Amino acid sequence: MSAAVSPIEQMVVVLARDLADGELGAAGAAALVPMAAIALARELHAPNLTVGGEMFFNPEPGRLYPSMLDDRALGRCEAAETFVELFGHSHHGLDFFFHSGLQHDVYGNINLHHVGGTLHAPKMRGPGAANLSYCHTSSRYYICPTVHTARNFVETVDFITIPGHLSGPAAKRDAGLVNEGPRLVVTPRAVMEFDKTTLRMQLKSVHGGNTPKEVQRHTGFDLAIRGEVPQTRPPTEEELRVLRERIDISGALRA
Amino acid sequence: MEGQAKPTRRSKVTGLQDAARLARGALEGRPELCLGGLFKQSRPVALVRALLATGADGLHVYSSPGAGYDVDLMIAAGAVAQVFIPGVTLENRLCPNFRRAVEAGQVTAHALDALTVVGGLMASAHGVPFQPIDALRGSDVLKHNPLLQEIDCPFSGRRIHAVGPIRPRVTFLHAQEADRWGNLRHLSTMVYADQLMARASDMVIASVDRIVPDEVVLDDPSRVTVPSHYVDAVVEVPYGAHPTASFPNYAMDEEHIDAYADLGDAARTGDSTGLDAYITRHLTEPKNQSDYIEAVGGTGYFAVLEAEARNE
Repeated sequence: MSAAVSPIEQMVVVLARDLADGELGAAGAAALVPMAAIALARELHAPNLTVGGEMFFNPEPGRLYPSMLDDRALGRCEAAETFVELFGHSHHGLDFFFHSGLQHDVYGNINLHHVGGTLHAPKMRGPGAANLSYCHTSSRYYICPTVHTARNFVETVDFITIPGHLSGPAAKRDAGLVNEGPRLVVTPRAVMEFDKTTLRMQLKSVHGGNTPKEVQRHTGFDLAIRGEVPQTRPPTEEELRVLRERIDISGALRA
Repeated sequence: MEGQAKPTRRSKVTGLQDAARLARGALEGRPELCLGGLFKQSRPVALVRALLATGADGLHVYSSPGAGYDVDLMIAAGAVAQVFIPGVTLENRLCPNFRRAVEAGQVTAHALDALTVVGGLMASAHGVPFQPIDALRGSDVLKHNPLLQEIDCPFSGRRIHAVGPIRPRVTFLHAQEADRWGNLRHLSTMVYADQLMARASDMVIASVDRIVPDEVVLDDPSRVTVPSHYVDAVVEVPYGAHPTASFPNYAMDEEHIDAYADLGDAARTGDSTGLDAYITRHLTEPKNQSDYIEAVGGTGYFAVLEAEARNE
């Protein structure tokens, strides 16, 4: 593997490692990175992982597309469903799901509705989100935006579209959020996790080429850096080879 | 029985302009319009354009939980008062006219989620007064969602949500094929919420890539996705979903949508000349779908989208 590992490839590899064989999960709206992660996990260690819950089962895209929600990407799949079945999956939940937004805060809450102003008098109106339920009914989810700046990682979001850990354990319990919620936050710079007691986000590892100080500078809240922060384990030869040769044939993750 | 003619069954095949007039009339009483497909796939865009050409306005727009270009175009044309769609985006970028109009207070965009919309359509389709939902927690959407009520589950006693029937006055769908009676055949992999909407709505008008002989339907009835019973009118419109896709026949026109979005963003930041020209060229000037096809680039242009759909 001569070409350098891209930050997006590093994201995909981190996410793929956390998906287990036999699980059921789906990619969510911004699907490029999650779909690649799922495909990599299925190739390497999770052949019985089922992609389902978003109206198609086990797609075989052939290559990655910017939007993985169309028939070019999903037309070759094992079965198709409709929004009626999505209603059922949404209640039964999945093992894992993926989310990202305009803003992410220290508790992993995600905003897709508005930045500044109010919902009906917004300074900037975002797209909203199609399905909110998987953040609550799925066992866990991952936050994986493809940018990481002090503008999209803020102390408190302006609107909670997708609840993370709300304002901590008590608020989460009061709201009836009984599952794990966001487990990892994987960005082009670093991996973050949540403190088990406070449920606040903290730096877990930084990708090659980044320093903890830089990551902190690009984050709008305190990442609770104490002592040495390890480097994210880079892709192995095998991970990179399978990713580039069997999944990302068009190089979308290096674009 | 000699000399007595067999009564003839009524064909539902309609012209595009007649279909738009039918919809316009129905929407005057209750302006709730619902669009089939999802994001850039199988959206009934030619029907939308024809409806806009009738001067429809004040519309309340519903859809499957994700929409983009068509709703944005309707807003650009000044036809929309309220949006009841959970996700409004071009996926790779925001919807410029949606954003501009909501930020300016000209259009109300309700905070909703997929289960509310799907559940409301289910209640309507199934003929029940509400659909329970037990999967929504912790989101600010729940504080603002105008269609949800909290109720006590009569069995568990838990606080859950209920959504009343969503009954669109008119639903536009796009399918790949239909017979003259209005039996629809979606040949795309996914059928989205189209079947549900057809059963939930007062009036259903479908555009299709082609009308097929009766035998095509009769030889393979399990392939019919929406029975004609639910369909009021069907229109054969070549490239009727453009610039969205009608798989497996043609792919979405990403470049067209991107160029439109650039014009929309320019309008949002003060220069609306490009967007005005776009609307004139694609909405005002074409008298029919042939004119529209020419305005977009002619049949040679569409051959590229057909090849793209075949993964060539």
